[in-house]
Formats: sequence, C-alpha cells, structure tokens
Amino acid sequence: MSDPVPLTTDRPVQEASSTPPAPGRSRRLTDRGLAVAFISPALLLLLAMSVFPLLWALYLSFTDYSATRGGPANFIGFGNYTAILTSAQVHTRALTTLIYVCGAVGLQTVLGFGIAYLISRRTHGRGVLTTMFLVPMMLSPVVVGLFWRFMLDAQFGVINSMLGSLGLGQVEWLTRQRTALVSLIVVDTWQWTPFIMLIALAGLTAVPKYLYEAASIDRASEWFRFRTITLPLVWPLLLIAVLFRAIEAFRLFDLVYILTNGGPGVSTETLSFHVYKVAFLGFNTGTASAYGILMVLVVIVLTQLYLRYLNKLKED
Amino acid sequence: MRYQSRMGRKSVTARKVQLATAAMLLVATTATACGDGKDDNAKAGAPKAPATIPELTKDPLTLSFIWFDWPPAQALEAFANAEYKKERPNATIKVNTVPNANWHDAMFTQFAAHKTDFDIAILDSQHIGEAVTNGNILDITDFVKENIDVEAYNPYLLAAYGQFPQAETGKRDENASLYGLPLLGDTWTMIYRKDLIGDKPPQTWDEMISVAEKCQADNPGVSGLAFHQANGSDAAAVTYNTVNGVYGGNLWDAKARKIDGVLNDAAGQEAMDVLVNKMKPLTAKGSGNWFIDEVNAAVAQGKACIAFNWIAASGGLLDPKQSTLGTTREQILDKLGFATLPSQKTNLVPLGGMGMHVSAYSSAANQAEALNFMEWFERADVQKKWAAAGGVPSRTDALESPEFLNAGPFNQVYTDSVPRMRDMWNVPEYARLVDIENTNVNAALNGAKKPKDALDDIAKEQQGVLDSGSRKGGDGL
Repeated sequence: MSDPVPLTTDRPVQEASSTPPAPGRSRRLTDRGLAVAFISPALLLLLAMSVFPLLWALYLSFTDYSATRGGPANFIGFGNYTAILTSAQVHTRALTTLIYVCGAVGLQTVLGFGIAYLISRRTHGRGVLTTMFLVPMMLSPVVVGLFWRFMLDAQFGVINSMLGSLGLGQVEWLTRQRTALVSLIVVDTWQWTPFIMLIALAGLTAVPKYLYEAASIDRASEWFRFRTITLPLVWPLLLIAVLFRAIEAFRLFDLVYILTNGGPGVSTETLSFHVYKVAFLGFNTGTASAYGILMVLVVIVLTQLYLRYLNKLKED
Repeated sequence: MRYQSRMGRKSVTARKVQLATAAMLLVATTATACGDGKDDNAKAGAPKAPATIPELTKDPLTLSFIWFDWPPAQALEAFANAEYKKERPNATIKVNTVPNANWHDAMFTQFAAHKTDFDIAILDSQHIGEAVTNGNILDITDFVKENIDVEAYNPYLLAAYGQFPQAETGKRDENASLYGLPLLGDTWTMIYRKDLIGDKPPQTWDEMISVAEKCQADNPGVSGLAFHQANGSDAAAVTYNTVNGVYGGNLWDAKARKIDGVLNDAAGQEAMDVLVNKMKPLTAKGSGNWFIDEVNAAVAQGKACIAFNWIAASGGLLDPKQSTLGTTREQILDKLGFATLPSQKTNLVPLGGMGMHVSAYSSAANQAEALNFMEWFERADVQKKWAAAGGVPSRTDALESPEFLNAGPFNQVYTDSVPRMRDMWNVPEYARLVDIENTNVNAALNGAKKPKDALDDIAKEQQGVLDSGSRKGGDGL
C-alpha cells in the first residue's frame, strides 16, 4: 500500500527547487536563459523608448539640427549649451519655475501633512476621508486645468461669482502677472496635496503606539509629542514625497498650457513650457535637446544632493 | 551553492558578451530609428505636382484633411461628402481636427516625421513659407496653369493662399510658384449693437472708440469693446497688426528683411498706444485671455457694444440657442449689425482664411485625388454651392453671387473687404515671429509690460530671429 498523497504543500521551498527539470524542458534552456528571455522584451522596450532617445538627444544637443528643415546635423560643440546658460530668457523661466516649485511644493507639504495628521487622529471614517481626498490626484491634469480655467474666469467663473456675493470685487486670476502664478500654484496644490497626504499618512500610522503611551505616562504635552516623536519619525518619508513632488513640479507643462498658456506675456512660462516652444515653434531640435539635457542634469544633481541629505538623516 | 555562484563575480568573457549584446541592441535600435538616412540628406524644396491630374483610382479611398476645430471644418466635411461624392462615389472626405492652439504643431510634427495621416493640409497663409522651405507640400504651379482659371480671382487672394515667396500686399507675382489654392476666405468683421449705438456703424477708428466709450458709460454691465487678446495662436498679434495697419504702420520691410525700426516707428507706437491706452480700458475685466469663442460669448450674452471677430467664426452669433439677444434669428439681427472695419489713416483689414496644400508624403493615389478635389472645388458652380453651404469662397464671381451674399449678414462685409486686405509675414520663421508678437502684445494688454517697451521688444526679438542665420547654437531662444 502506497503512502497517501499529502493535501497540503507545506514542504520547505528548498526541496521544491532541487526538483529536476521536467522531462519536456529543453536542456539548453537554463535558468539564466529563461531569465534573459523574460527580461529581453522589457529591456528592448527600455532601450528603444528611453535609452536611445536620451542618447540621440545628447548627440543632437551638440548640433544645429532641425527636425523640419532636414539637412545634415552640423557639430557646433557646446554652442547650444552656452547659449542656453547665458540666455536672459532662460534665466527668467528658471526663476519662474523656482518660485512655482517652492510655492507649490511648500504649500502642498504643509497642507498634505496637516490633513494627514488630522485624519490619523480619527478612528472612524478614516478610509472614506482618505478616498475623498485622493480624488483630485486621480484626474487628468488637462481636465483639472480646463475646469479650473472656467472656475477662475474673471467674467463667468464661479470663484468671482462667490466673491461677488460676499461683496468682494472681481479678481483677474489668470490675466495678471501676480495672480496668474498664484493661480497655478493653487490649482497644482489642489491636485497634488493628496499625494503628500497619502505618504505622510502612511508614515504617521507606522509610528509605534508605545512611544505615545510612554510619552503619556511621562505627561508629555501634545506639542512635545508631535515635536519629538511624530515629526522625526515621519520626516524622512515626508522628504521623499517632497522629492517626488519637486521633480514633478519642476517639469510642469500641462497646467500652464491649459490655464495661462504662459501668460500674461511670458510671466508664467516654466522651463518645460519654454522647451516646448523652442522645440515645436521653430523646430530648433538641437537647442531643445540641449535644453532638455540640462534640465535632466539639474534634476539629477539636485536629487543626488537631496538623497545624500536623506541618507545622512537616516544614519543620524 | 548554485545561487551563490550566480551571484558571484561574472567571468570576463561573460561580461564581454553582455557588453557586446547591449552595444548591438543599441546599434540596431539606432539604425531602426534613424531609417536609411535618406531623409536627412533630402534636398530642401517642394516636389512638383503633375500638370495634369493622374488617373484616379476606382477603389474606395479616404481623402483626409487636417484643420483646427471650428464650424467651417464640420461644414467642409459635410459639404464635400454631399457634393464631391456625386462625382467620385468611391471617395470619402474626412476632415481631421485639432484644437486651434495645436494646429501648427499637429501638421508640422507630421511633416517633420516625413509621414502624414492627412492628404491635404489646410495651412494658414503664413505657414506656407515654412512648409515650402522644408519640402513638405507639392509645388502646384504647373497644375494651376493647366486646370485653374486664375483670372477668376482677386490676384491677392490667389497669392496669399498659395504663393511663395510672399506677394506684395494687394498684388500677385505671376512668375512666382504656387503651392496652394484658396479654401476659405476670411477677415475681421465689426459686430455692433444696433439697439445700443444706432444703425449706422462708426466709420473711423477714433469714432469707433468714442462710440464704444459712450455706450459703455450709458449701459452698465456692458463693455465698450471685445476683441482678441490671448497669447495663444495668433490672437493678440492679429489685433495689434490690425490697429498697426489702420494707423499707417508697417510690420516689416520685406525686401530688406528689417523689422527693428519699421514696426516700432512713430505709426507703430501710436497704434500700440491706441490699443493699450484707449481700447483696452473699454474691454471687460479679465478679458486679457479672450480669443474667438470668448468674444462670441460676450456678444451673444449682450455684454459688448462693439466686437471684432473672424467672419468664418461669426455664424453661431445668429443661433438663438446660443444667444440671449433674441429667440429668433430675426430678433437677433434687429440688435446685431455687421460692418467692415473702420478706417483711419489707411483702410487695411487683416487677411484671414486658409488654403489647401497637398502633402508631399501622401500616397500617389491620394495626391491624385487631392488634385482632383482641388480642381473640382475651384469650379465656379462648386464655389457658389460652398458659399450657400456656409463657406467663404474666393472666386470673384462667387463672392458677388446672391448665393454668397444672401447666405449670411456678414458676407457682404467680406466681399467689400477683399481689396483692403493685408497679411502678416509668410516666412519659414513665422511661428516664432508670431509667438514673440503674441506674448509681448498680451503682456502690454495685461499690464505686464509698458506699451513702448513691448513694441521695442517685439521689434528687437523678431529682428533677432530673422538675423539668426549665422548664429552658432541657441537657435530658437
């Protein structure tokens, strides 16, 4: 009489891995070969869609090539890079982008963390509240831009209508130099605060409860607990969220395109929007490639510095 | 143990093999992406279309156009499918549309790829230079000689929608090459509230401003003026160019390729002063980003005494469903009047509209069909039918026909405006020139720049674009 067949497979994994290959499997198809076969499609796609365009853009950035004019791509050394780095137009856009990134990410961090902190203290309805706050993040930026454009319209928009009913005057949200950039920051904050909130909430819920209990026994104040327990433990995670948002904000294009088209004048033109104009209005592909490469370099360098700070924070 | 050996240091041979494979993949990807390299060495300049229409296919065929999304695009597709199909039952017309702001990019990114999903590009008159220089559209000079009655048109209309190099305002150079034929004529019309300012439209620009001023003061909640101010497309630029023309200014000296010192001369400065300091205060608050739709909305909601808009986009104003001015077309027309633009030092008006241009990258069968369509479209009887269907024709006989003049209250305005038209620059650098002008005029209109500074910046930056041929790097900045 043979042994009964076990109904569960609770044997150690090591035993399963030592099982010889099935009789039908090719002798040539080793584990390594199988791994390569599985990875190849993704690798090819990555090479074709990311690595090649990046290298090609790097090559074009040293030429005067234009995608529409055709003709040979003449090598001009660092001509494009020098022109970009010394251009007053680029400096103006860089300043606009910097103000935008600092304003939007700063506001989102404060609001996102604040909302997360308040939600984390609730015991009932936390799931519903979190889901509701996440809705803006799930919308397309183009859709967000379009409905905010209608809402912020000085003549027909609901925002000015509400201000009017409160006895306040009309505000030209999108057509004045100061308010246009503020409007962009507000719309971006409305959409992306939930992202910071989500990460901060994950950090807040991961703080061990016994620390708070110990603090309570020591009769520590609410502010003391926040300053010495909550904030230090959530801070590294929050900084990662800030990093992601800063990179996203740095390459902002869609909201500018829909809401202000860079106006009034060029006062809300960000670096990405300017690259778009250089690339597609005059099809100056060489210059646009150099511009793009410089933007990537800025992001990489700043990210590296930021990550070093994060690591140092972790070690401390 | 197997696991450990895999995670260990690879042999030199294995690493070499991996590096070689990666390099081969990169080379293969590069070769695939770059094609055979013929494109890069292709000689610039437009290829020629045959003088006679080649034999047409009997197989089902879709003739595709590309245009921006506005009522004439839908009208063209409906009209062509109803009428052209009677002659060519196997052909279907498809007018692909994109938002106005993406129109140039949608066409020229496909031209850049040397592959288009359209057979006929509907180019703005100013796009022709860029398309011709890059060899994107067919040279139809010989085709026009054989198939089109050029005497049937105002010479400037034929030149504006097809000729390159650009014609002198009001003229046509018969020795120049043609790259397109008129599809839709257009210019600005002055739309005025007859019930607020009277039946007689203002005759001069200064009079128009004072009438608008009085109307605004007499009618709280209604602004004196509504016009294009946005910094997208060519909105603010056309507005300034119109005022510039009326006050005797010039956009450039085409022969000397000189803008700085021409655009910002005394007449140009006066035009900018009139626009920013006299006209802008009469517009609605927050109208600094208005374009076609917003101006139409202001008129339809009774919020403007006098407005300026393209004729081809004005049809919706007579639709009672979209208007608060009346419940029938007649009631609306009791309140709205349409007139040619007032004159001042000159009587120039902006040239709008677009022509049909055959893509150089379309298949031979579709190019033949496109030429046949163009020949059909420019016939006298078809032009009149196009007028009756809501289009704006270009043949003089169609422009003066009852079919056209009775089709809309603004059509007489177009016919009267034809001899007064002036275009912008039709050069390959057009897209950048218009962007410089748009952003600076928009900045002046919205208080981000002083009018004089804005005009001087336009002149200086545009001159820089025209002179940038010898620059080594940084083109487009």
